[in-house]
Amino acid sequence: MPSLFVYRGNDQGLRFELSEEVLGLGRDTGNHIQIHDTEVSRRHAELRRSGKTYMLSDLASSNGTFVNGQRVASHKLVSGDQVQLGGTQLLYTGATGDTSSDLAQKIDIITRQQADDESRIVRSIAQEEGSRIFDSRLDLPRNLRLSHGGNNLQVIYRTALAVSHTLDIDRLLDRILRLIFDWVEADRGCIMLVDPDTKKLVPKVRSNRRKQSDDDRITISQTILDYVMQHHEGVLTSDAREDDRWNPAASIVRAGVREAICVPMAGRYGVVGVIYIDTRSSPQQVQGRAGVNKFNDEHLKLMIAIAHQAALAIEDTQYYSAMVQAERLAAVGQTIATLSHHIKNILQGIRGGSYLIKDGLAHHDETMVGRGWEFVERNQEKISNLVMDMLTFSKEREPEAVPGDLNQVVAEVVELVTVRARDAHVDLVWQPTVPLPTLTFDPEGIHRAVLNVASNALDACAVAAEEQGRAAGRVVVSTSYAPDEGLARIVVEDNATGIAPEEIEHIFSLFVSHKGNRGTGLGLPVSEKIMKEHGGRITVDSEPGKGSRFTLELRAVLADAISQTAEQPAPSPRATP
Amino acid sequence: MVPRYSVLVVDPLEETREVLRTALEPRGVRILATDQPARGLALAREHAPDLIVLDVEHLQAAPATVADDFAAQSRRHATPLVLIGSARHRRGRVPAGEFVAKPYHYGPLIRKIEELLAQVPQPVAKAA
Repeated sequence: MPSLFVYRGNDQGLRFELSEEVLGLGRDTGNHIQIHDTEVSRRHAELRRSGKTYMLSDLASSNGTFVNGQRVASHKLVSGDQVQLGGTQLLYTGATGDTSSDLAQKIDIITRQQADDESRIVRSIAQEEGSRIFDSRLDLPRNLRLSHGGNNLQVIYRTALAVSHTLDIDRLLDRILRLIFDWVEADRGCIMLVDPDTKKLVPKVRSNRRKQSDDDRITISQTILDYVMQHHEGVLTSDAREDDRWNPAASIVRAGVREAICVPMAGRYGVVGVIYIDTRSSPQQVQGRAGVNKFNDEHLKLMIAIAHQAALAIEDTQYYSAMVQAERLAAVGQTIATLSHHIKNILQGIRGGSYLIKDGLAHHDETMVGRGWEFVERNQEKISNLVMDMLTFSKEREPEAVPGDLNQVVAEVVELVTVRARDAHVDLVWQPTVPLPTLTFDPEGIHRAVLNVASNALDACAVAAEEQGRAAGRVVVSTSYAPDEGLARIVVEDNATGIAPEEIEHIFSLFVSHKGNRGTGLGLPVSEKIMKEHGGRITVDSEPGKGSRFTLELRAVLADAISQTAEQPAPSPRATP
Repeated sequence: MVPRYSVLVVDPLEETREVLRTALEPRGVRILATDQPARGLALAREHAPDLIVLDVEHLQAAPATVADDFAAQSRRHATPLVLIGSARHRRGRVPAGEFVAKPYHYGPLIRKIEELLAQVPQPVAKAA
C-alpha cells in the first residue's frame, strides 16, 4: 500500500498508509493526514488516486507544496518523492509493483539438466577490467555503439545521479535498469539480489523495452549465474553456435538469436547481486546480418561499470538500513530500560506506603497510616504523570485545540502544585496578566507543559534547600500576551541553583534528567513538543547560583479570529525549502 | 521515645529513606539518612551508627574507595551492614553484609534490621 512517512517535522516518525481515493493534507483535524505544523495551511494539499499512485495537488496553500525541492501545483507522485509542506518533510513510497514472489514467476533460473536453452558464454570480462571504463584517463573506444551515443563522463555522471539520493533499494534498482535501457539496446532486463539469509539470488526488478507481455518469461541459466557469482566476471552469452550461424538450416535462423549480458554487482565487500539484460534478433535480422552481435565487449564493460556503481550504492543503502534498524532497536531498549527503572521506583514507593498503612493499622497509629497514604498518593501521581508524558510524547494523544482561558489553565496547575510548594517551603507566586483574550489551544497539553516546568522549578528549590541549606525558595508563575508578536507567554521563574551552561543544551533531550531519581527525563521534551504543536517554543535563561527562567511561548490564535487565521499560517522562514 | 539504636540509611530513593524513618523511629530507632554514599561515609564516621543500610547499586556508582571505606568502617566498629541490590551486584565490589535482593518488601527488610539490631552488644543511643 502506498504510504507517506514523516521524516522531519513535529510529526516525525508517523507513517500514513494511503488507502482512500482522495485524502486531504493539512493542519485541520478534518484532514486524513493532519500535520502539526504552523507553516502548513488548514487545508494545504490533496492526494487523489491516479492509477497505482497518487496525484498531489496544492490547494492554494500559503506556503506552497514542494516535491523534491520544486514548488508544484500538481504532481504525480513516484516512489521516493520527497514532499514538503511548511517545515514538514514526508517521503512517498509507492505501491510495490511486482513482489519478489511475483517476479520469480516471470524469471526462470534453469539448471543444465532441464535446459532447452543453448546459451553459452562467448566472452567474459573481470569486474576490475570492466570498472576501468570509469577511469577518467581513459577514453571509451570509438567503436562503442551505445543507443544514444555518449562518452564515459556522461555515463559516470548519469550513473552517479541514478544511484544517489535514494535509500529505497527497489527504487534504486528501477533507476539502474532504466539507465541501462537508455544506454544499451536491450529488450529485457532484470536485477537479482543475493538474499542475506539464504544467499540465493532473488529477482527484484524486471523491465521490458517494448510493450511485451509480462508473461514473456526471462530464462537464465543457473550455470551462467554461478559463473558470474563465483568468478566475479561479467559474461556475454549467445544461444547461437558460431558454426551454425550462417547455416540456413540451423534452428537459429528459425528462431532467431538471443544474446545476453550478465554481470556481477560487485561492491566493496562482495557480490550483492547480478544484472541481466538480453536482446533477440529475429530470423530476418540474422539472415540480413543486421542484428547479430548487438552486444559486444564495450557493452559488457559498461554494464560491469554500472553494476559496480549500483552495488556500492546498494551496500551503502543496506548498511544505512541496518544502522537505522540497530539504532531503533537500541532506542527501544533504552526506552524500556529507562521506563522500567522509573516504574520500579514508583512501585517501591507504593510498597513503602502500603507497608506503613498496614503497620499503622496494626499498631493503631494513625500518623503512620496517614504518612503511608501520602506515599501511595504521591506515587499514584508519579505514575499518572509518567503515563501522560509517555502518551504525549508517543503521539498517541492528538492535541485538541478549543477556545479557552489560558489564565484558568495555568491557575489550575498552580493550584495543583501548591501543596508540594508548601511541603518544600517554597513561596509559590501566581501573577496572571488580566484580562487575556480567549485563545484557541489544547488545554490538556498546555496544562501538562506548564505542570512539568513548574514541577521542575519546585524540585530545583527543594534540592537547593536540602543540599545547600538555601532558604526562601521562590517560584513565580506568570502569563502575558503580546498581540504585536501574535504570541502568548507563560513564564516560570525560580531562585534555585540554576542550570550549568554545559547542561542547558541537553535539558530538552529525551531521558536526560538532572534531577537524579526524581526525574524521568520526559518532562521537558514533552513540554517542548506541546509548545511546538502550538506554534511556539520553550526558552530558558539560567544563571548558576541565581535561578532559572523558563518561557513557554504559544502562537496566540484568537478564538474569534479562527476563520481568518485558518488560511493564513505563519509565514515560512525559508525562501526555498 | 528515646532512641535506643541508630541506623544510617544510604539510598538514592527518598521514599525508601522516609519509609524506614517512619517505620523505625516509633520503634526506638534514630534514622540518619542520605542519598550520597560519600556523605553517608562521613555520617558513619561521625555518628558510628549501630547498623548501616546501603543501596549497593548506588554504592558501586561511587568511587571504589567509598565501598572499601564502608567495609573498613563496618569492621572497625563491628557495625552490621544491610546491602540492598539486585543479584548481580553481589559479584561486584561490595563490603560484607546481609544481602536483601531487589525488588524487596519492607516487612522482611525491617525484620532483618530489627534482628541485627537485637544482636548489637551495647544498645545505647549514640550522641547526636
